[in-house]
Amino acid sequence: MTNFEERLLTALKEEIGTRTAERPAVAGAPGRLGSRRRVWGLAAAVAGVAAAATVAFTVSGGLAGAAYAVTKGADGSVEVEIKEFRDPEALEADLKAAGVNAVVDYLPAGKTCKGPRGNGAATRGEFRVSMGNRDGGMFFRIEKGQVAKDQTLVLAVSVGDADSPPAGTTLEIVEGAVAPCEPVDMPIPPDGKTDREPGGFVEKYKDGTGRDEGPSHSENFREDDGGVNGPAS
Amino acid sequence: MRLNEDPAAFEAFYRRHVDAVMRFVVRRVSDPHLAADLTADIFLAALDSAHTYRPGRGTEIAWLYGVARNVVAAEHRRTTRETRLTSRIAGRRLMDDDDLVRMEERIDAERQMRRALEAMRDLPEGERAVLELVAIDQLTVTEAAAALGIRSVTARVRLHRARRALENVASPQAVYVEERA
Repeated sequence: MTNFEERLLTALKEEIGTRTAERPAVAGAPGRLGSRRRVWGLAAAVAGVAAAATVAFTVSGGLAGAAYAVTKGADGSVEVEIKEFRDPEALEADLKAAGVNAVVDYLPAGKTCKGPRGNGAATRGEFRVSMGNRDGGMFFRIEKGQVAKDQTLVLAVSVGDADSPPAGTTLEIVEGAVAPCEPVDMPIPPDGKTDREPGGFVEKYKDGTGRDEGPSHSENFREDDGGVNGPAS
Repeated sequence: MRLNEDPAAFEAFYRRHVDAVMRFVVRRVSDPHLAADLTADIFLAALDSAHTYRPGRGTEIAWLYGVARNVVAAEHRRTTRETRLTSRIAGRRLMDDDDLVRMEERIDAERQMRRALEAMRDLPEGERAVLELVAIDQLTVTEAAAALGIRSVTARVRLHRARRALENVASPQAVYVEERA
């Protein structure tokens, strides 16, 4: 091997070392969009790919059999880990207790909530939500102040089969009233360049940066004014 | 696959495939610096997507080529519109003069493959993708299907169509591709 290959290996191993289990995905420069809502969809499943590694809803020590855990960090951030997609009301209540208004819906595979659910919130500065997969469940972190008092975190998860990760996820911040979830069929990506990405999870940006069909990544997310839920008002 | 958590497992994986990944890249780009960047990006993307690899669902290299395709495709779309985004690892900064020479040699060696790819440019995307992986990157049809996340039979049909379309193109490159396929 040449030096380049060895150096790259070293750099990559360092990268592994610095990663945390959740591998946060943060994108977007601050203040580029007045209204930004982000929609994460685990597109692999949407696109019909059996994406993730074999997933069992194993219960790890931390969660001790609970469907989810909500943890408030010392820095004011709130971490949410969902192991099993049941009891959304209890999750809403726990998020509220942690200072985050939330509406959570779990839907059958292939269904999502009809959008828009409300007015997309204009966020101040950088909107930062980290998200990742853990053993077929999901994980995300909301930084302090990301969801203001008059705003609501709206989460809709299209739940896959018992042994697969969620087929699709939307996560957005809505200002003011939130419409109840009206289940509709999930939009299927058109057959074309972006379908069935073998990396499983497609990263998509639609924010004018031209990064609209990015490389395979651990999360798919799509950032634009409307998301899959239609144009923001 | 514990690729993204276990440095030893990753190292083994990397050593198995780094050469193939670099070949994949230099078949598609002719700038040695960009080739180094993309090589780094592909392995980073592999780390990001490591949890999507299922042993038994196609080979490792098919999966990795699938990841690589996405990285290179994204780069091609990007260059026309904006400068390169900063990656977590800038591959070009890891190259010294010797590496640069070696990368240029790799690029030269794949000149014919780049021309063949050029000849396929006008094929429909789905067909081109299959032909590319089979004829240029030497995957089996089954592996190409796995890389693209499509069924083998679909890949076969697309490959057949692509070959037929190329038969009508009277260019030496196209003939070359046809023979490889």
